[in-house]
Amino acid sequence: MGAVDRFGVGVLCVLAGFALLMLIAPSAIIIAISFTEKAYIGFPPSGFSFKWYLELLDKQQLIDSAVTSLKVAFFTTVLALTIGIPAAFSLVRGRFFGRSGITAFVVAPQMLPGMVIGIALLFFGASFGIYQSNALVIIAMTVFCLPFAIRVAMARLAIMDSTLDEASTSLGASRIETFFRITIPQLMPAIVAGGAFVFIEAFDNITVALFTASPRSRPLAVELYNLVQFDSSPIVAALSSLEILFAFVIMLVLARSVGLDRLRT
Amino acid sequence: MIPEVTPLDGLFGMLRKIIFRGGIWPVVPAIIFLVVFFAMPLTVLFAFGFVSIERGVVDWGTVSLDHMTSTLNDSLFWHFWWRSFWVGTVSTVFCLCLGYPVAYIYTMAGRGWQVLILVATISPLLTSALVRTYAWMVILGGRRGVVNAILLEFDLVSRPIRFLYSDFSVILGMTQIHLPFMILPLITVLSARDRSLEQVSLNLGASRVRTFFGIILPLSVPGIVAGFALVFAISYTNFIVPQLLGGGNYTTLAVQVYEFIVVILDWNKGAVLAFLLLTSCFVFVLGINYVGNWAMRWREV
Repeated sequence: MGAVDRFGVGVLCVLAGFALLMLIAPSAIIIAISFTEKAYIGFPPSGFSFKWYLELLDKQQLIDSAVTSLKVAFFTTVLALTIGIPAAFSLVRGRFFGRSGITAFVVAPQMLPGMVIGIALLFFGASFGIYQSNALVIIAMTVFCLPFAIRVAMARLAIMDSTLDEASTSLGASRIETFFRITIPQLMPAIVAGGAFVFIEAFDNITVALFTASPRSRPLAVELYNLVQFDSSPIVAALSSLEILFAFVIMLVLARSVGLDRLRT
Repeated sequence: MIPEVTPLDGLFGMLRKIIFRGGIWPVVPAIIFLVVFFAMPLTVLFAFGFVSIERGVVDWGTVSLDHMTSTLNDSLFWHFWWRSFWVGTVSTVFCLCLGYPVAYIYTMAGRGWQVLILVATISPLLTSALVRTYAWMVILGGRRGVVNAILLEFDLVSRPIRFLYSDFSVILGMTQIHLPFMILPLITVLSARDRSLEQVSLNLGASRVRTFFGIILPLSVPGIVAGFALVFAISYTNFIVPQLLGGGNYTTLAVQVYEFIVVILDWNKGAVLAFLLLTSCFVFVLGINYVGNWAMRWREV
């Protein structure tokens, strides 16, 4: 390697190292700070205690909003999968007029920012007397997340071997038996991955929730949005650390079910 | 004897195919759901920019362009639009400069590094953007902020530097938060590239740097275009980062949309701004794709 090459490789490595550090450091710092003993956020954190985590348990408002978020995420996931998985079947295996147009339509919400979907449903609901509520959040979140569920299932269906289904039926299994014993097990990684993605997105999305959530039962993300602006105690860091941990657990689930490389798409 | 096929049989056969052989029916619930809760609400959102709303009641009889023209004639609107545009552009360029090396090294590295890169890229994606924005508030904060605390500890500065609530903090936060969206499409394109070309180039005596700029970079234009368009679109429409890292006075077009709808409750103005934000965003994304196609044609010559 000449001098220019060595310089080029050096620049490349420095930039990549900086990028990786930038990706990891903020979460690591938040976790480090959440164990501080001081009553304010400071660096370097002093002492080691779980007191801010214990304090979280005393905040009824936070627990309520966490429960709200879990409910919203659960119903959004169920709704997105029940609508999305069959749709993916049609779009991959069906042969009908306008299939590509319909595919473009059902993944279209992904092209829009969450804010626009949130506002559209806020206005739409208001025009028909549906006000900000958990139900409106679930509907808006499902619109926002449906493309994820459909695309993950479509990607899986495209590489699945449909001759296995035909073999099963020609060997005498009924269509329903084939579906539950051949098709569904093959599709399982997509259901787990799509479900996990939708769940985590519905749990901590802020841009959709900010416009559709009722002020009386706020999801955790909206609560956190207010906290980070007006509360400087390490309790916010503790809450954030729990969210980071939650995301990590979800990633482990995904890595085990579909493998890290598949997650790229 | 060949059985005679009547047109009617053909029709029945087609119907049977549609119904039983993975036809259109399973996708119908999705279509209905999205027509009712996506297409119609979007229409309502745009319509709200052209009618007048008095005390929460829509007067559908008064369709006019008044809200639109008054917004477009407002110099403040153009001021905020310009800020959205350049903040989005600058942070997207930074994302490209930082993301490309990561994606390139991914394709050259061994398995261990690849896993590390994927974990570092995907785990922030699963963490809420709000938490990551908050992390930057902590890092860049005043006297007790991480960076300032270190600088003060080692007596590198006498007073804390004001990082937060500036262009710097907004662009830094956006770059970090959107970086994974740049890295992932680049990894996809760079992994799939034909490596024999660069091997030939190296064997023929071209330097690594020359091979990179002459072969690898042009081959990865589709990934650059995809990443650039995606990151620009999400940076341009992000209102959380400017609000939290830019402070109360740091207004962009997306922040304006939020303020008019949630704080000021002027839904007419909010709808017009949302419409303008979305359409201008689409125009830019189309523009980026157009430039990308042009660059690829130019490459072939």
